[in-house]
Amino acid sequence: MHHFRITPFRLAAAVAIGSLACTGVAYAASLGLGSNKLFAWSQSLTKGTCNQTSTTADDTYVQQALPTSTAGGTATTLTISPVAAAQDYAFSRFNLSGCSLPTTAGADSAVLTVRVTTAGADTISLFPVTSSWSSSTLNWNGVSGLTIGSTATGTFSASTTGNKTVTVTADVDAAIKAGTLWGWELRATSGTAIVAIGASENGTAGNRPSMTLSYEK
Amino acid sequence: MKRLTRIIGIATTAALLTVGVASAASLGLTTGKLGAGSATVGRCTASALTATRNVDNSGNVTQLNVLSVPQACAGETLAATLENSSHTSLGASSAVIGACTGGCTVTLTGFGTVSAANVTTYAFSLTQ
Repeated sequence: MHHFRITPFRLAAAVAIGSLACTGVAYAASLGLGSNKLFAWSQSLTKGTCNQTSTTADDTYVQQALPTSTAGGTATTLTISPVAAAQDYAFSRFNLSGCSLPTTAGADSAVLTVRVTTAGADTISLFPVTSSWSSSTLNWNGVSGLTIGSTATGTFSASTTGNKTVTVTADVDAAIKAGTLWGWELRATSGTAIVAIGASENGTAGNRPSMTLSYEK
Repeated sequence: MKRLTRIIGIATTAALLTVGVASAASLGLTTGKLGAGSATVGRCTASALTATRNVDNSGNVTQLNVLSVPQACAGETLAATLENSSHTSLGASSAVIGACTGGCTVTLTGFGTVSAANVTTYAFSLTQ
């Protein structure tokens, strides 16, 4: 009969095998592979940009003094006036359909840029519009039929000419999920001056509104 | 004496191996129900679910909406982790799925301040 001898090598091997068995238990526990975990999955997101220019912009302004006028729809500048009985409100939006974003997508960031072409000491506030409108038909009388948020998304000072930027991420994110971006109403919330911003029909490209949009889908 | 030593050595090794196997079994490593990715069949849903998130105007995630959660998942805990491109957790949240009619939308909040721009993956798990 062969006699089994406990050599230092065999003893070390036995200890190593035993340790590996215990180590396996420790790793399983640290991985959280408990029996109550039923299902795990992940969703990868695709990031991209879809910047907007005058080619996808639609804008107008409406005039309290001319409540049925739709002339703002073809104007090259959009007037904003806080003057009593002669207020003017501007409206601006972008058609995001070219971005091909599903309603499960979202905005990571969105920044609207407008160019003040006629300056005045006004604060201009942007209020989100969530109902449909068209620059060819919207007039002062039609504004009361729109759904417009009561809280301003952002503001800018029109005291100097030049580009003004407003972060509109939350509005655009919500609009992507709703399927359409209906833009913003721009009106003076302080000041007494009549100011103007460039329209999408402006002859100078740099005067037209634009929007940078970073998204995920 | 040598034979006794041999027996003790073999018994010790066998005991250690047995403990390892028994512990692994108690952890559910042989049930075949666990998995990751989009193709694994779970207990209450047969496919990965889609989620959307909302952001505030600073671009930080305010909530995660997991869509079309089957009614059969009611009572289970849905956990989500927001991960960056290195699969590092940027924030996590969980909630017990409530009862509802048809497909439910489960809303998870409380991820902390997480910029949506940095999130590239949502990782989910369902547990009892």
